[in-house]
Amino acid sequence: MGSSTKKKKEKKKDFQKAKLKVGKAKAKAANFTDTSFKSKSIVVNQQTLVTDGSDVVEQFKQNLSLAVNAKSDNQRRDALAYITNQLSANPPNDPVGASGVLTKLLPLLSDSSTSVRTQLLKLFRALPPAEVGPNVEKILMYIRGGMTHLSNDIRNDTLNILEWLLGVSGDAVVSCPGGWLKTLNSFSSMLGWNPSVGSAMSSKGWTSASKATLGTKKGPEAQARQIQVLAKFLQTGFRAEAPPPYNPMAYWDNIYRLPESPNPFAYLNLFGTPRDEDSEMYPDRISRQRIFDAKWRPAISAGMEGAKKEGGTVGRAAATLARALSAGLG
Amino acid sequence: MGKRKVAALEKVEADLVNLQYKIRRDPRSYAQEFYDQWLAYDAQRQIFISSPATVSSEDTSKFHDLVDLVAHVADLYPDLTAPFPDHLKELLNQHHATLDKELREKVVGSLVLLRRKDVIDSTSLLTTLFPILISTPSKTLRSLLYTKIISDLRESNSKSTNHRLNRTIQTVLHNLVTSDRTSTKGMWATRITRELWRRQIWTDARPCDVMKEACLSDNEKVVVGGVRFFLGGDKEREEAEDESSDEDIDLKKVKHQSTINKKTKKRQKTYERAVEKIKKQERKKHAPHPLNFSALHLIHDPQGFAEKLFQKHLQNTKNRFSLDNKLLILQLVTRLVGLHKLTIISLYSWFVRYLTPKQLSVTSFLASLAQATHNLVPPDALEPLVVKIANEFVSEASASEVAAAGINAIREVAIRQPLCMTETLLQDLVMYQRSKDKGVVMAAKGLQSLYREVYPELLQKRYRGKGATMGLRSGEVKQRKFGEEEEGGIEGIELLEKYKEEQKRRKREEQALEDGNAEKEEDDSEDDGFNSDEWEVGSTDSESSAGWIDVSSDSEDDAPATKRRKKEGSSEAPDLVDNADQDPAEAELDRISKLATTSILTPADLAKLEELRREAKVDQALGRTSKRKKELIDRHIEDGVTAEDIELPAQLGKKTTKEERVALAREGKPGREEHKSTQAIRKSKKEAEGKSTTNKEKARKKNFLMTIGKARAKNKRSLVETSKTMKRHIARSKSGGRRRNGL
Repeated sequence: MGSSTKKKKEKKKDFQKAKLKVGKAKAKAANFTDTSFKSKSIVVNQQTLVTDGSDVVEQFKQNLSLAVNAKSDNQRRDALAYITNQLSANPPNDPVGASGVLTKLLPLLSDSSTSVRTQLLKLFRALPPAEVGPNVEKILMYIRGGMTHLSNDIRNDTLNILEWLLGVSGDAVVSCPGGWLKTLNSFSSMLGWNPSVGSAMSSKGWTSASKATLGTKKGPEAQARQIQVLAKFLQTGFRAEAPPPYNPMAYWDNIYRLPESPNPFAYLNLFGTPRDEDSEMYPDRISRQRIFDAKWRPAISAGMEGAKKEGGTVGRAAATLARALSAGLG
Repeated sequence: MGKRKVAALEKVEADLVNLQYKIRRDPRSYAQEFYDQWLAYDAQRQIFISSPATVSSEDTSKFHDLVDLVAHVADLYPDLTAPFPDHLKELLNQHHATLDKELREKVVGSLVLLRRKDVIDSTSLLTTLFPILISTPSKTLRSLLYTKIISDLRESNSKSTNHRLNRTIQTVLHNLVTSDRTSTKGMWATRITRELWRRQIWTDARPCDVMKEACLSDNEKVVVGGVRFFLGGDKEREEAEDESSDEDIDLKKVKHQSTINKKTKKRQKTYERAVEKIKKQERKKHAPHPLNFSALHLIHDPQGFAEKLFQKHLQNTKNRFSLDNKLLILQLVTRLVGLHKLTIISLYSWFVRYLTPKQLSVTSFLASLAQATHNLVPPDALEPLVVKIANEFVSEASASEVAAAGINAIREVAIRQPLCMTETLLQDLVMYQRSKDKGVVMAAKGLQSLYREVYPELLQKRYRGKGATMGLRSGEVKQRKFGEEEEGGIEGIELLEKYKEEQKRRKREEQALEDGNAEKEEDDSEDDGFNSDEWEVGSTDSESSAGWIDVSSDSEDDAPATKRRKKEGSSEAPDLVDNADQDPAEAELDRISKLATTSILTPADLAKLEELRREAKVDQALGRTSKRKKELIDRHIEDGVTAEDIELPAQLGKKTTKEERVALAREGKPGREEHKSTQAIRKSKKEAEGKSTTNKEKARKKNFLMTIGKARAKNKRSLVETSKTMKRHIARSKSGGRRRNGL
């Protein structure tokens, strides 16, 4: 009967009941989708919760790595808190040294969680100031990275760190390679007082209102804070250096004794890559003043005048800045 | 260190991709933001460079993202990002071994991106990537760099040949090969050159020069790379060309689909692309064929090259290359010798050691020997080799394959230089056609037929055959002396000559006919005489063989003509006819050679010449010439001899297995996995294409119950009714069916 029976059979097939058999797996449906997958690595959501109190050194190290690698914000914060406790204990317990701690934890400067960042600041405050000194250049690199971060919160928190660093070893901050001009660059870009970008764009006959940014609200508080820290930074840079106390043996010490600072000939830049103007070191007040005069004074004064006119917290901060400037340059 | 994932909410704030998008849309307004990121990039770079080995994965990934952003918008802020390319280059140059894999790839990719945005030029990109390509230990990086380099070279040569860039890179490659001959770094030079040669980006002599230097390197791999290029590079190039033209698009189909399917932008675009592609192909088809010389022809100073190659890699006993590679080199050397007719006398004595049946892959050696032979090789150098082959390979005691290969090898040598043979040896070899093995018989017969044509005096009289004997007698077959060259001429000029002669005659005949109309009856005898003269020339033209064959074949058709001739010349002895015919033949040869020198060939003449040549070729292909000639025509002298050619006659006697036969039958018939009738295959193909069935098929498939009523009614018809229907049917079919087709 040709195709009609065939078609009938085909039709029937659709409505037939599937037969189940004992000991055999159930047939898979026609629309079955294979959702199994393979993975090369296993991610453990909860890292070791067991705290082994026996070995303090091991525990410190474990917390150090947890602070960097842990997935959850809380765990990172807790690990940081633990390290802070250990550092602020009496006597402080620091098996890896401040340098080791800093190397490990500096990337957390731009951590996404606010609580971690505040805890990090607490931790840094617990570090012995004498040991922070040699690492200033490195810390400044991360600070500059944080100051130009896209996220506003991170920028502000980084300012806190900078403030701490200025307090701990201000002279090192302003005199290390790149510490003066590059940090000023970051400040100017933060505040939008930017001569280089302005000139690059104005050559095309445009003026740019650089206040409009990526959805981040730049409230007056944030700006005031930025100006405050800038003022502090400038104050530190322009601080009159006390002449070194008279030491009759200075001449002989210079010749025969081992230098006390970690890199005494840094200004010669013997082994590094050649530095440009920005990353050059400006070790004394006069050189800092000179380069500031040449590069940043017009831009910063212009910005400052603008800020003064705004009044309020910003105006007050700008007044502080003006005082710092007049004191430093005058 | 594991990477922490950024949650979706956090991402919004630190979204570099978003920023990039905004910057690209409005670079002026976002200059400040970009400047921030530029500073961030700078800070991150400082962090990175201060300790590239110990940097944390966090920092690496941050740096990665920033590099990506800056690279994508670098062309919008040229002043600000001026040092960026240098940063990347420096980073790659100094830290490529220790860099994180992803970051490394990103840096390479960013450099290429900058090149595409014309921030940097090709030369600076390639000079950066190239040193890393040859020095990096990482395989993934190497392959990445290799593809980037090739694609960049391709791109910069796509619109027009960038001679300056090519020259720079070729010089770099040349220096790479020549600077340190022992290192494997030359491999990259050979690989890049070969790839670009294959793609027809480099087609001149300079890449050949690079390869030449590679061949003369001390490193085995580099040498083999160079040698393989010369042996197979051109074939590869041709194949690549064929492949590219293979992709056919059925424009009709695409057009049809576009009328049926939903109209979307994407479909529209695919259609446009197809049209564009077809146009491109058309243009390519009509474009003049690029005159690509083969690499072997472009070599500068082939004699010096072949000598050096031979001395360095083959003659030198301290050389420790593997046999396969040595054979490759030998193939190249002999190919060069044969192609350019070079003279390297020591090559032939070097061969002696390897011509024994026990030698591994001896057939390749034999083939190389044949390849190295040409008509300017002194027979003294070849004779001992031929004797050695005969002694070692050809004897009653040796296996039939061995004997067949030996005789065939001797034949291949003799084709190129017939003077290498002595009479006794040839007679001995020819006698092998009495052998029981078919392969040996065929090889011996091949040798015999070769000598019948080129040097019949060497054969015994009874083996010479009719043609050769007659040729000898008439002096047609002449033995060529050593160093004698065939006179150069234009191929097929004699055909043109003959054609012209015919045309002229026809014209004259017509004229004569017109004239004859006036005085038809009167000048009968004169007309005849005129005709017979012409006819004589024509006949010698058409069969440029000995005269007395003409006489013998004259028997029926041309009987009246002979009669007439007899009338004129009355009594002529056969000898005289011979002489008379022979002289015009020689005279004619002279005249033909003069045709090109005495007259100017017009374009029409040349076109005709081309046509005649083609016709002649068709004639030859249809078997109107001797087998050997056909073979010689088929095989271009420039194609080398391979081991398979030598082994071929030995295969003749063998029976093939069933699998082999099946495979042979299957060859060239794709898409036949299962056993199926041709009809079924055609039907399924039609169905797959979505085509409809014919009326006949529909009628065949029609449900039986639907037709049964009509069938019954038909049975019940009366005789008259039936005949009426039949008549109507005939009338209708005569008038073209119901639709009146064809009216």
